[in-house]
Amino acid sequence: MELISKISKGTKMDQIYIPKNRPGFHTGEYVKIIPVNERPKDNYYVYNIKEVPPIKIEIAKQIFQIIESMINYDNIIITGSFLDENFKFNDIDIIIITENKKEIEKSIKEKLKIEVHTILFNQSLLIEALKIDPKWRLMLSRCISKKRIAPLPQRKLKYRYLDVQLIESKTLMINFNYLTGKEKYKLTRNMMAISMFIKNKNISDKSIEKEIEKELDTNIEDLKNNLVTNDFFKRYKTFYSKLEKEIIENASKQEKDA
Amino acid sequence: MLDLFIGNISSAISHEILMISTENKELASRYKKERDNLIVISKKYRHNINPIRDILPDKDIEYIKSKVKNKIKSELSSRIKKGYKNINLNIIEEMIEKYLRAAKVI
Repeated sequence: MELISKISKGTKMDQIYIPKNRPGFHTGEYVKIIPVNERPKDNYYVYNIKEVPPIKIEIAKQIFQIIESMINYDNIIITGSFLDENFKFNDIDIIIITENKKEIEKSIKEKLKIEVHTILFNQSLLIEALKIDPKWRLMLSRCISKKRIAPLPQRKLKYRYLDVQLIESKTLMINFNYLTGKEKYKLTRNMMAISMFIKNKNISDKSIEKEIEKELDTNIEDLKNNLVTNDFFKRYKTFYSKLEKEIIENASKQEKDA
Repeated sequence: MLDLFIGNISSAISHEILMISTENKELASRYKKERDNLIVISKKYRHNINPIRDILPDKDIEYIKSKVKNKIKSELSSRIKKGYKNINLNIIEEMIEKYLRAAKVI
């Protein structure tokens, strides 16, 4: 049995992290540390992205290395608009599965000189998030991760929680004439993801875009490029109101049954 | 512009109060980016309401507070009537103060 790990810098002493779940290497046992001649190959997993440009892979690897040198983690997942085909991302969404609560966002920004948004989860909270929240299912549907991601857990409908998530999409109706195409797209995607989650449909960027085109009778590129008109607004409003009514009614039933 | 500002602030506060009232509040607050966007949009509108650099006159502040309060109450009360539990309407006013201060209205 052998493990390969990196020496990381500590305050008083440097350390080598090894996984908590491991065969052998029990706490209290003495081990011998010897250097390996070659740096182990960087492992990462890519989910549902046809081609990631080498520069983005390089950035992802750097993110993994920086986080690795700072905290103990179960997995690191890079997701969001950074993985879009273009280079128009505002920041990089990084989900870190860890028991650690140390604030590391600032350090990553300083080291990378790129805007990042870190979200820390412990294992059980992430599983709960994937059960009840379509947003996290969507995020994990297209990502780069340091370690393999387990299959999604069975969904659980918590209508009151979905009600809170749906309110975000009300913003489109309040600000229709003042939002950019990208903002409209995001708010529509949020609403449609919730609707599809309730219907137990598979959630990914592609499937949501298809559903938007079908349900709201609109071209997805028109929406992204802010070319949608008042007819779209009317259809959106009708769809939103119907979905909101369904969610509130079911949330009320769940409240009574609780 | 004022109506848009009121609409966004009301929506952001309703969202936060509903979020606090769910049993999964820790999870609901985890991804703040979208909610923060709502506040950013509100601030954008605020920059188009005169006086831009100063707090608003008392008369306008009272008008905004009362409109925001009514909008939030209507959003939340409809849910309470349907049977939603644990929605604390007593925090509306302090929330309004917090958000208006952040938007430099008061």
